[in-house]
Amino acid sequence: MSQAWLPLATLATSLLVVPLIFALPERAWRARTALNLGAAMIKVVLVALMVWGLYQGESYRFSFTVVRDVTFLLQVDALGLMFAGLSSLLWLATTVYAIGYLEDSPNRKRFFGFFSLCVASTVGIALAGNLFTFLLFYELLTLSTYPLVVHRGHTKALNAGAIYLRYTLTGGLVLLLGVVALHVMVGDVSFGEREMLADLGPEAHGLLTVLFLIMLLGLGVKAALVPLHGWLPRAMVAPAPVSALLHAVAVVKAGAFGIVRLVYDVYGIGLTYQLGLLTLLAVIATVTILYGSMRALAQHELKPRLAFSTVSQVSYIVLGISLFGPFGTIAGLVHLMHQGLMKVTLFYCAGNYAEELGVHRIDQLNGAGRRMPLTSIAFTVGALGMIGLPPVAGFISKWYLGMGAVQANMPWVILVLVASSLLNAAYFLPILYRLWFRPGPAHGIGEWPEERHLGRFETSGWLLWPAVATALFSIMAGLLAGLPFSPLDLATFVTAEEYTP
Amino acid sequence: MMPSLLLAVTLLWPLGLALRNVLRLVMEQGALGRPGPRPALLDYWWITAPVPALLLALWPQEAVLLMDGWLLGGQWKLDDSGRPWLLFSALLWGLAGLYARGYLVAEQQAAESGDGDAFRRLLSFALLWPLTLAGNLLLIVAEDIPSFYLGFALMTFAAYGLVVHAGNRDAHLGGRAYLIMAVFGEGLILGGLLWSAGTAQVLTLTELRAGIATAEQGAWMATLLWLGFGVKAGVIGLHVWLPLAHPVAPTPASAVLSGVMVKAGLVGWISTLPLGAVGLESLGRVVIVLGLAGALGAALYGVIQRHPKAVLAYSSVSQMGMITTLVGVGMVSPPLWPGLLVAITLFAAHHGLTKGALFLGVGISEHPPRLPGWLVWLLLLLPALSLAGAMTSGLATKWTFKELLYDAGHGGLVTWLSVAAVGTTLLMSRALWRQWQERGSYRIPLHSPMPLAWLACILAASSVPLWVPLAGRHPNWPPLAEWPGLLWPVSLGLVVAALMLLAALRSERKWRRAQRLLPGDLWWWYAWLASRLLRLLSDLAEEGERRGSLLRGRLQAWEERATVAISELPRFERSFRRLAVPLMVGVAVVLLVGLWLG
Repeated sequence: MSQAWLPLATLATSLLVVPLIFALPERAWRARTALNLGAAMIKVVLVALMVWGLYQGESYRFSFTVVRDVTFLLQVDALGLMFAGLSSLLWLATTVYAIGYLEDSPNRKRFFGFFSLCVASTVGIALAGNLFTFLLFYELLTLSTYPLVVHRGHTKALNAGAIYLRYTLTGGLVLLLGVVALHVMVGDVSFGEREMLADLGPEAHGLLTVLFLIMLLGLGVKAALVPLHGWLPRAMVAPAPVSALLHAVAVVKAGAFGIVRLVYDVYGIGLTYQLGLLTLLAVIATVTILYGSMRALAQHELKPRLAFSTVSQVSYIVLGISLFGPFGTIAGLVHLMHQGLMKVTLFYCAGNYAEELGVHRIDQLNGAGRRMPLTSIAFTVGALGMIGLPPVAGFISKWYLGMGAVQANMPWVILVLVASSLLNAAYFLPILYRLWFRPGPAHGIGEWPEERHLGRFETSGWLLWPAVATALFSIMAGLLAGLPFSPLDLATFVTAEEYTP
Repeated sequence: MMPSLLLAVTLLWPLGLALRNVLRLVMEQGALGRPGPRPALLDYWWITAPVPALLLALWPQEAVLLMDGWLLGGQWKLDDSGRPWLLFSALLWGLAGLYARGYLVAEQQAAESGDGDAFRRLLSFALLWPLTLAGNLLLIVAEDIPSFYLGFALMTFAAYGLVVHAGNRDAHLGGRAYLIMAVFGEGLILGGLLWSAGTAQVLTLTELRAGIATAEQGAWMATLLWLGFGVKAGVIGLHVWLPLAHPVAPTPASAVLSGVMVKAGLVGWISTLPLGAVGLESLGRVVIVLGLAGALGAALYGVIQRHPKAVLAYSSVSQMGMITTLVGVGMVSPPLWPGLLVAITLFAAHHGLTKGALFLGVGISEHPPRLPGWLVWLLLLLPALSLAGAMTSGLATKWTFKELLYDAGHGGLVTWLSVAAVGTTLLMSRALWRQWQERGSYRIPLHSPMPLAWLACILAASSVPLWVPLAGRHPNWPPLAEWPGLLWPVSLGLVVAALMLLAALRSERKWRRAQRLLPGDLWWWYAWLASRLLRLLSDLAEEGERRGSLLRGRLQAWEERATVAISELPRFERSFRRLAVPLMVGVAVVLLVGLWLG
């Protein structure tokens, strides 16, 4: 029961900013920027404090009872903290990016208000200690993201928003059903009390399987599992920072994180394995990975291609979870972070190309490496990481997935990994080829669709540095994976907790 | 301490040199955009990239470097088995680098005087050359699997930029063939490494070999890895990138590509496959057959090529086929492996440097140095004869493995390899003939980098058995009685070549058809197959999309109908209102009746 204030304060940093931002007038650019950045930095510090504390063996918990048998519970465990760390770090980067991206555009107040709300719900999801709290923030996330998706306000955006709401609200409803049913069965389900369901005995297994499937259906919408992924590529109309956040931490990751919680902390990996649900997860993940990659291959625009790549890559997390054994778990968890870092980099870069050069299609990217070298290097790093080449972080994920596949006695998964790597190479390498080896407007052939000179460097510094920073983080997470506090180290820490009874 | 420091410097130095060019550009901000003089990129510092590696290879002690934080636990080491590989690789890289300085001098001058395009191309060359080198060195010294894979991938992908340096259509085609095959190989390697390392639960290559040897599915893991590295090593069927990429790459890049990088595939086999252990016999038989097929087939196909570098590339496929055969023999009869390893190492060093000298010679015949003509052509002939096995290092190499195979009772194989040597002689004649036909007349001074590097390379290539630090017994010269047995393939080859030349001179027309056989042989067939497959897939996808949109449309129609139904609900409202009074009266009546009855 010690230090309940820390998780609460972490949540509050972004939650309290929301009314302040809404209270500020639209033109108060400086105040809003200071507020956003200040809150983001404070949160990074708070999360770092908690990580430090957790390694020292401290526990953080905050709870109050809402109605009888239903408690609001914030609880810090290693898994949640990992997700919170990722979201706070990327929030900082994305805030910087968004400030640069939305310069001079209307409705910035609304944007940053909901942006903070969105991040607050992500942190809430990360720190939620039971299914009820999780569900609360999960729904809050759905609603707070909608204004961001439709931010531009044109018909296409509104349509995409409508589709987004349809998918996610339906998913939320299904999840609610599952959670309520589980609540009826065993009462308040706190994360980590895995023996609760395991003790129910074999006669409950049928019902538990059904409930698992229902909740998986609910979570799978956000995690963009095929065939529930339809909203994600359409939500591409959102501004670049939103897409970045959506794909890297917020919505898609929330779904994946939910599945991680469901498997490890509600059912327990042992029970899930007993019910035979891991094989099902592996099959779903395989289908999603391959289908997403194939679809990505067929896209001609940059952002949709990245979107389908997300569909494919997020399922690596699910695939990792479905491999019974510590290595599989490490792979899934570490990819949760690695994919976030790499994908956010790619989206920043895609945004930079769109903002600085007006480039949206892949065939317009010829020779962009010369015009925007740093952005293109960052993009290259992200893309190579997605393919799984060392020393970028993606290699570490792939390595552990492979180890996990053998450990779980499912060597066919390696075939999936290889196929997916080849497909990734097939849709990322042509982009890199265009960036670096094809002459284009920068060499005096043709013109950029809509070139602007946003800053002293190749583009505005606000847009450039976040991309460079996350690219650097992606390399470091791979190259220095053996160091303490690297994503791999954190994931190993979580896994050790998960598998020691 | 000192050797491990040197080991780190070996890798850091080329990386630092690559970075240096970038940093210099950043400091002179805008140097890319503005016209005007530019800094010289390929300066003498740039050439020193492989010098620490050479020092390390010559350092008397073994070097080990452990890094806990690096990837999954870094472990680099150089022992006596790796030393010859590092030595000849670094040597050829250094000589080719020196040569590049002369070869690209025109571009360098254009760049310095302000030609933006030339400068940019030179910049990417100056950047990617040391990166490729660093990858190559890393894969030789790496002992942990991730570092090894990192080195291999870095070398593979950075070399793409070297292949497409010219930037024309052919270069991009060659680059594409190179990259597609390389990615395919990387995939196979990744699969093999994950599977075997996962099964054995290991992180180092030594343990990996032991793990594969004892694993239940070890033969299949070995097959995957063999195929994966086989792309690089030019195994027949997977070799198609060689003849396409070599002619288009700048000559110094072709030299290292054929001399050293192709050997990386061989290094991959030696470091990952449990050679010398039992269990790979059936794979070994396939390997021998494929190796011989490559050795002979490439010679046959290469003879009809026109571009001297394409001919040399086919010769590389052929030579690598011979080495592959030896590896296969090692799989079939494991006790032979220690001796074979020595022969293979010698063969690799000999072929690496000799092929390097031959490639460098292509540039020399285009721009001959100020030497008497007969001397230049004699010097061009020397490595060719050596590769055919008639002289110097070639003779020693041939004797080394021939002796070994004879002693082990593989006489048939020796005959086949000798037939392949006939093919090599033909290839060499063809390459020299084409070089002679395309010879240049503009003479460059002898004291410029190109001739110096070339001469040094010839010298190093002919004296390979004298300096290469082999782990086992040292190769000895064949006794005089064996010379006829060793020299007949060359003589036969020369006779055949002379006959072919005569035939070609007599009838010009018959050769037209042969000229249509493009370099890259199977590549064109693969490309056709792939395009068919892609069309099939896209047709399927379109069909799926059509079905999907049909389904979506139907769902949407249902939804619209439902919405219409819901919005028509208020209509009932009026009827309800009208019914309200009779309903209430009715209920009251029912209640009253109930009361009365109750």
